[in-house]
Amino acid sequence: MITVRDLTRRFGPHTAIEGLSFHLERGEVVGFLGPNGAGKSTTMRILSGYLPATSGSAEVAGFDVLRNSLEVRRRIGYLPESVPLYAEHRVEEMLEFQGRLHGLSRSERRARIPRVLERAGIADRSRAIIGALSRGQRQRVGIAVALLPDPEVLILDEPTSGLDPIQRLEMRKLLVELGREHTVLLSSHILPEIEAVCPRVIILSKGSIAADGTQDELVRKLGGGARLRLEALVGPDVATAVRLLKALPGVVEVRDGGRLGIHHVFELPCAQDLREDVGALAHAKRWAIRELSWQRPSLEQLFARIALDLPDDPPSTVSPSTASRAEESPASASRTTLVQLDVSAPLSTSQPAPAAAAAQGKIVYNLNPFDMGASRDLSKPKPIDGPAASPKEDA
Amino acid sequence: MSGAWTIYRRELAGLFFSPLAWVLLCIALAFNGFFFVLSVKGFGGDVLQSMSFLLGGSYTFWMLVVLLPPLLTMRMFSEEARTGVLEFLLTAPVSDFAVVLGKLLAATTLLAVLWSSAFLYGLALAALGTPPDWAPLVSGVCGATLVSALFCSVGLAISALCNTPLLAAFFATIANAAILSLPFVDALLALPPGSPLRVALGHANVITQFQASFVVGALDTKHVLFFVVWTGFFSFVATRVLEARRWW
Repeated sequence: MITVRDLTRRFGPHTAIEGLSFHLERGEVVGFLGPNGAGKSTTMRILSGYLPATSGSAEVAGFDVLRNSLEVRRRIGYLPESVPLYAEHRVEEMLEFQGRLHGLSRSERRARIPRVLERAGIADRSRAIIGALSRGQRQRVGIAVALLPDPEVLILDEPTSGLDPIQRLEMRKLLVELGREHTVLLSSHILPEIEAVCPRVIILSKGSIAADGTQDELVRKLGGGARLRLEALVGPDVATAVRLLKALPGVVEVRDGGRLGIHHVFELPCAQDLREDVGALAHAKRWAIRELSWQRPSLEQLFARIALDLPDDPPSTVSPSTASRAEESPASASRTTLVQLDVSAPLSTSQPAPAAAAAQGKIVYNLNPFDMGASRDLSKPKPIDGPAASPKEDA
Repeated sequence: MSGAWTIYRRELAGLFFSPLAWVLLCIALAFNGFFFVLSVKGFGGDVLQSMSFLLGGSYTFWMLVVLLPPLLTMRMFSEEARTGVLEFLLTAPVSDFAVVLGKLLAATTLLAVLWSSAFLYGLALAALGTPPDWAPLVSGVCGATLVSALFCSVGLAISALCNTPLLAAFFATIANAAILSLPFVDALLALPPGSPLRVALGHANVITQFQASFVVGALDTKHVLFFVVWTGFFSFVATRVLEARRWW
């Protein structure tokens, strides 16, 4: 439905996009992701026929956007980031205008306008003056305007920017619905939105495609940081434990993280979740497990990595609490990303890293399961009259 | 051309929605009425001469023709580019020329409404028992509309070039004044009679073209074409500027 080949656009000496190539099948919902200035809006503007490309070609529904611009424009519903609407008109007048521009007959307009207003959730404001609407309502009107001609392709540039969380959730729901009937190219800075709405993601960075694929594919291809962490009491023969772990199918490498108190830390870089296998092995070998977790980078982490030009393999050690939080929600993952990127050295008692310790701030370990969560810092001697009832966070 | 018609309707509605258009109409009508009364008195009750004075024969007419179109057209592209509505229009399934044409016709229509107020004077005189000579009145209104279209097209081309409406109005006013002043270049340069430049400047004299035909009540195709062709030329320029904007 959309084919882009070697698309380049320059604004004077500045190159907005360079050598962009991708293809969207009919009915695909694709998220366009990238930091500011990555070239998302420029690409969308070229596809909508607003901007010509400096070189390369783009086709929408089989029509070249430059040579058959009008044919392309008839087939797309385009919502620019600025949501351009005539502020002095009423909502239904704006839709009437859009209908006429697309050559819809009066009966078609009468049938479709209430439908798209209903769909966009703005039916109750159809007689409102656009200039008097809130940002979220204007956004909805923009969606209704884009939907009116029932386009084959929807190009939505940041449709949720400026919306409050409730409006954002509603918009997300609407976008999921739209994705069932249209080919949708959607750009957004809000990653959870892309994760929720778009099965496929194209990540742009500095005007080029940094990644293209389904979310799972991206995490698999670029993940580079998926790892399983095991903290267990394996006894004195650590080498055997390492050998056994390495023998598990899917395990490429076992990193010995050294001792943490009475437990030993292992890290297994692995693309798949091997917790079942490692758990079974630990059970068979009667290893007492304190932690068994698997973490792979979220889309947001990948995005941050690409946007910030960070290496593919992030620092190896993630604190247990961080890892578990990362799996909780994408919103909290953003905080997690920052924490994870900041930590630059492994956490280990055998090879203490002052910088890591400083970044970590505290290392608190719960040793005794019977003392109601009593904790202490193992790097310091045990206080004789130490508190026992509440976790203590020594700096 | 259905796209141009759609845009024309919206632009006309947009113009009448804006207070600026009403203010301009009010001021221009008051101005016209005032000068009509003065000219009737000045010409000793010669209504026909007063009307021709009002439509093309006076400096006040040319002043309005120079000033009003830029004020109407200044926002049509520059403001829309600023608010982003231009992006909506230029990604709609209509050609750039249709966009320009729709806007040009809307601005010209508003000015035609203004010039048509002369008919009210004619009707009032007819009601009082002295029917005017309708032919020069009709041709005068037609001519004034054509002149307005020419200057509106200049205003549109400049509005497409500028990013702020005020700047667009300023430059369009200067451009209109320059077009009207072209014949004076001849006097300034003291060109010899028969020189090609002098002949060309003579042909480009808007005031002469207007007064030779429309004021006397004769619709000469040559003069009609003069205005139509130049309006078309500046509309074409506006379209090209609009296309060029995509490369900025």
